[in-house]
Amino acid sequence: MTSLRDAEDSMAHALRRLAPHTSYAEVMAQRMVGHSVRIDKSQTSINVEPRLEGAVFRAWDGDEWVEVASSGLDGATLNGSADALHHRLGSDANRTPPPGVSATGNAEQQTHSKRPLESVAVEERLAIARSLYKLALSPGGIDNAIITMGSSVEERLFLSTAGARRWQQVDRSRGTVVPVAMESGKVEYDYLSYGSMGGWEVLDELTEERILETANEAKALLKAGSAPTGAMTVLLDPSTAGTFAHESFGHGTEADQLLRDRSYLKPLLGQMVGPEFLTLVDDGSYPGGWGSIYFDDEGHPAQRTVLVDHGKFVEVLHDRESAAVFHRSATGNTRRADFLSRPFVRMTNTFVEPGDWSLEELLEEAKNGIYLQNCTSGIEDPLGGQMQIKVKKARLIRNGELGPVGPSMALSGKVLDFLKGIRGVGKADVFSIGPGYCGKGHTDLIPAGTGGSYLLSEAVVGPA
Amino acid sequence: MSEPTFGSDTAYRAAEAIRRLPVPGPWDVYGEKIERYEIHLNGIVREMLRGPLRLEGVGLRVIRPFEQKLGVGFAATSDISSGSLATAVHDAEATARYSRFPASKVELPSQSPKGVAVETVDRKAWANPLESLEAYVHALVTSFEGRPGIVPSFGSVHLTLAESTLANSSGLEHRSVRTTVDLEIAVKAFGGPEGRPPGEYWVTSRSVRLDPSHLRQDVDTWCQRAADVRRAKPPTAGEQTVVLPPRVLTDIIPEILSFRLSGTAEIRGIGAKAGDLLGAPAVSVWDDGLFPFGIGSSAVDDEGNAQSKRTLIAAGKASAMLYDVLHASATGRTSTGSGLRDSLAYPEWEHFSSQPHPVGTTIVVGTGDGGRDAELAEIAGEGIWVDQLGYAFPDPLSAAFGGEIRIGYRIHNGQLAEPLRGGTVGGVVVGGLGERSLLNSVVALGKTPELTAHLSCPTFVVEKMSVGGAD
Repeated sequence: MTSLRDAEDSMAHALRRLAPHTSYAEVMAQRMVGHSVRIDKSQTSINVEPRLEGAVFRAWDGDEWVEVASSGLDGATLNGSADALHHRLGSDANRTPPPGVSATGNAEQQTHSKRPLESVAVEERLAIARSLYKLALSPGGIDNAIITMGSSVEERLFLSTAGARRWQQVDRSRGTVVPVAMESGKVEYDYLSYGSMGGWEVLDELTEERILETANEAKALLKAGSAPTGAMTVLLDPSTAGTFAHESFGHGTEADQLLRDRSYLKPLLGQMVGPEFLTLVDDGSYPGGWGSIYFDDEGHPAQRTVLVDHGKFVEVLHDRESAAVFHRSATGNTRRADFLSRPFVRMTNTFVEPGDWSLEELLEEAKNGIYLQNCTSGIEDPLGGQMQIKVKKARLIRNGELGPVGPSMALSGKVLDFLKGIRGVGKADVFSIGPGYCGKGHTDLIPAGTGGSYLLSEAVVGPA
Repeated sequence: MSEPTFGSDTAYRAAEAIRRLPVPGPWDVYGEKIERYEIHLNGIVREMLRGPLRLEGVGLRVIRPFEQKLGVGFAATSDISSGSLATAVHDAEATARYSRFPASKVELPSQSPKGVAVETVDRKAWANPLESLEAYVHALVTSFEGRPGIVPSFGSVHLTLAESTLANSSGLEHRSVRTTVDLEIAVKAFGGPEGRPPGEYWVTSRSVRLDPSHLRQDVDTWCQRAADVRRAKPPTAGEQTVVLPPRVLTDIIPEILSFRLSGTAEIRGIGAKAGDLLGAPAVSVWDDGLFPFGIGSSAVDDEGNAQSKRTLIAAGKASAMLYDVLHASATGRTSTGSGLRDSLAYPEWEHFSSQPHPVGTTIVVGTGDGGRDAELAEIAGEGIWVDQLGYAFPDPLSAAFGGEIRIGYRIHNGQLAEPLRGGTVGGVVVGGLGERSLLNSVVALGKTPELTAHLSCPTFVVEKMSVGGAD
């Protein structure tokens, strides 16, 4: 099979077997290929990413969704899944239509990469990785450097009994440089990571200047003192601000959680939650965004959704079901991790819109506090509204000046307090959307972009 | 009693096709046939039924000598047609030409050990998966009945049945089965006269069996925690004695120790060496691949070598490391049966798409003489009992961990006092020379072990942990 579209007739045939037995059914097939390179001082690995392909069928059973999925896209397998799903359906699955509006019509979209996956020979990928490795080691004092570069091509084809047909191909590439320093048994590192929709050209962002800076920071982290603790003024770099937008705020805007009464933000819809210069956005159509898609897994087009508009919490992210309950339109945010995973309302690229403060102005405004850099993780608390964000390094701010690099830290506190405490948002010149993976709960990881500029507020910080 | 089976022969069929091509050794092929069922909840209402979700696939590894090193090629596919297998062989050979591993030869086992029986399956669930899952979910949901102001708000239970087959160029053929149960549930406490915002206790667990026998007791605990969240306050900042129970440690210890005490870390010069002081004298740690109903337990690892119980830390000192066949060869040792395709950090329900690498199975920490919970609080005197962190995000490279306290309790005068929430706790599991770490700051270990996912351990009392909180 050279394209997922080769399986379309079999998918349509299997879907027709289901149609008489339910008011609505759909099938989503997925095919993924990719290549990656990983090198460090002891090992070179070239990987062909697993060739996984399969399809999931979903049907409305009158009062709940039922799904069956299987790897393989041959006619017998697809018919087998459709028949298994038929057997799960009750006798009155035709009784009521599913909630919400079904997508209709036919559309195709794909990424047009400058340097697609197949256009770069293995030798060239290896040569790029080796050059990055040498650069990372070049400052001296670096014991090892871990270089990973990967590029993938993912196809999804969606058909429904409502007449929708969507085909999309999304290319994504990502590169990471991790210089590692060691001394007396202590191991430290810093990282540089870049990823977005596109082909190998994405890796051009891993520049010599950035790699050298990262390597020098790794060495400096070996000498870092202990982390300060307590409530203080915090300045978030773009990666940390993006994680705040996604993990701390964004998860509370996924409307399926509102339907479960599991969002601290639900009673605040329509209210001011931050200063007038704060705007938060989820945008699945962001050009080149790591979390960008063309259509969601209910067939709705990806779109830009302003969540907080000049401080006012104005919108949440919908699937067909929540959109029906809230009398809104689906926002193109229904995503499956893969053909074996269920759909949920998910974010795409979530970010803080840039403001008009320079870094110098923000430091001056902060006067004393801490600058949190290179976010490593975050976790949501959609009902409780607490935040946990971890960064790889931090710098004390004293009298508006940045101090030497300090160790990894965690930021915590209440999201709403943090929002109300925002005193400044950085300019667009440092705005970026970084690559990450997001879980719904603790599973179902999907590519999700997080971004922003600098963000100045108050929070509790401690060791991590 | 014979093992349940799907009767799958995925790897054996692939091996036959590989031999016909023919492909020179060494090579191995790992096949899986998997069936999964899921029930998703919205409150106590079933929101979605999923299953069967079927996945079948193979991962093929070829190992080739190149200039005193090995070229290791790998390809995985869920299309097991002969054409696709030929493509996988081609991809594996192609990647082997460019990959380099620091060993000069490797020996794959020719037969699997006989007579080793390990419990890895919930037989009842295997026989009737959907009915068993529905019965478990019914027991779970009814455990919330009669509790005003408490509901599960979000959750799911996943039951996975997997049969793996392994074949290699040395003639090995081995079959094994496993069941895995993943539970995720968020419990919400709300209402009441006090007008406080709702509180949530968010639970995830992974085990081998659908065992409803402890559900009511567990739900009692979850509901109490959710209610306590509503009146919890942030802890004070500073160095404090902290008590960490197994459900917190399970997100911290296995991932870091199973990397730092592995051939993977050793060949990069960051592994512990035998005799290195890693913890307090009371701390002894094993990796037990034969732990009954342990995640990752099996008679043989994913390369066909015998699993066993291995001493990693004895009385605070590093003792042994975990090796698969490649890392054993690179370091002049023999495999410890630790070549697994699972990941502790991001466990997947399929393993065939990953290459084997040294991984811990069930990490077992020896119990101590600290007594039960009440006695451990007494030993702590003043401090914090952490019941749940947001997520500790353990970092194997730096050995650091840390997270926000989602619910804990102040320990005052040797007793649990008011609930705490917010603030952070963190540090390193094992440190550099003279550096304070989790393992070398243990002052007491409880007497009762608890199995949570990849860890069987007692509660730890740890002194002078750094806590970020209110000033």
